[in-house]
Amino acid sequence: MIEHLTRLGCLLLALAVSGCEQPKDPVFHDQFFAFGTLVEVSLYGVEPQRAESISKVIEKDFMDMHANWHAWQPGKLSSLNKHLANLEPTTIDPSILPLIREAGRLSQLSGGLFNPVIGNLVALWGFHDNALPVGTLPDSTRIRELVEQAPVVSNISIDDALITTVNPSVAYDLGGFAKGYAIDRAIDRLRTSDVQNAIVNAGGDLRVIGQHGDRPWRIGIRHPRDNSILASIEVSGDASVFTSGDYERFFEVDGNHYHHIIDPRTGYPASSTTSVTVIHSDAATADAAATALFVAGPDQWLSTAQNMGIRQVMLIDKQGTIHMNPEMRSRIQFEPGLNAEISLSAPLQ
Amino acid sequence: MTRADRILILLVVCTMPFVYFHLWVSDEPANYLVIRSGSNAPVTETLSPDRMLHIAGPLGESIVEINNGRTRFVSSPCTRQVCVHRGWLSNTDGLAACLPNRISMTLVSQHPRFDAINF
Repeated sequence: MIEHLTRLGCLLLALAVSGCEQPKDPVFHDQFFAFGTLVEVSLYGVEPQRAESISKVIEKDFMDMHANWHAWQPGKLSSLNKHLANLEPTTIDPSILPLIREAGRLSQLSGGLFNPVIGNLVALWGFHDNALPVGTLPDSTRIRELVEQAPVVSNISIDDALITTVNPSVAYDLGGFAKGYAIDRAIDRLRTSDVQNAIVNAGGDLRVIGQHGDRPWRIGIRHPRDNSILASIEVSGDASVFTSGDYERFFEVDGNHYHHIIDPRTGYPASSTTSVTVIHSDAATADAAATALFVAGPDQWLSTAQNMGIRQVMLIDKQGTIHMNPEMRSRIQFEPGLNAEISLSAPLQ
Repeated sequence: MTRADRILILLVVCTMPFVYFHLWVSDEPANYLVIRSGSNAPVTETLSPDRMLHIAGPLGESIVEINNGRTRFVSSPCTRQVCVHRGWLSNTDGLAACLPNRISMTLVSQHPRFDAINF
């Protein structure tokens, strides 16, 4: 018996020691501020000095994109908006042309629920200012006017790089899309720098490539109503995880909550969704889809996701019910003690 | 297989889940606070003793409190005070940031559960 107990003691000691002696984390982390948020770059297995250098290049890329794509500060996009408001044909700068084309394509796929040309409406709500409104709402007549003017991407034609419009109310605001597009460019930059395992995370929206050594990357999904973790997923290969929520940018008037995701059909913040999480290969599509599905709400998210080619969705409605498709359900792990109804949809094809 | 061998195997099987959970899965409290300010190198702070930290940013000084293993923004020279309203952070991966003042703080542990947080 003593011999057996000795064996047991050795075994437990080996287990404990193996638990304590984990290797040093081989992930390089860097953070910087861009697009009005905190961007984090995590690179696995890259020598620190080289990783630092690559991260600085990505930071500069983000700064340049932010300056060029800003909807209301002087830059290429705001200059374009001035021409469109005056119905003047103009040539789109090559640095923003692919972004404009892709935004138009995704808007059409979403049936206009992701609408990148409602910049005037977003500005009216005060979301073009760093300091959000305090105690006041936009004039309801003006909201109705802007909705009736119906700015949509089909009002715009692009021939080569020449852009024209027949509707002076179109104004680009790429807030629901530019961050994802920028993350895709950062991943391109990493790949050309021969980095195969990385995460680029901009304010909680992220794209993952490769994996963390011999295991997948582990991503926690934060609960939309507190600081806790709602669920987690394991990701490897190439995937983007994007969430749009009513808690990101908002203000309150008379106890009512007004957030930044405007329903282009009503002119008011979309009212039936708390958050939408989308998993998709490229970040730009995931970003636009998260916005579109948020606007679509619990009644329309499935058909909108189908049209946009999205295969993994989790939507939390205002009552706290979690709507998701079976493919998403199969890969997400909820935290223990989850107290919410889960509504499983038909499969997305 | 003797009776002692069976007892040994049973003990190991019963012990394994506890050891695994304790060493690898536990949602343990955070061990450190990492503060970033602008493009400066991140600064790591221990979570004891209790104290106030004064951090300079482009808008002015933000004050961070460490108390009983938790942390929060006490004040910051920003308009919306989102960072202050975020309240106390106590668990690993807790993040609060004052974007206008370009200051962020993240609670980290020696064994983080996640590589990134989506929100």
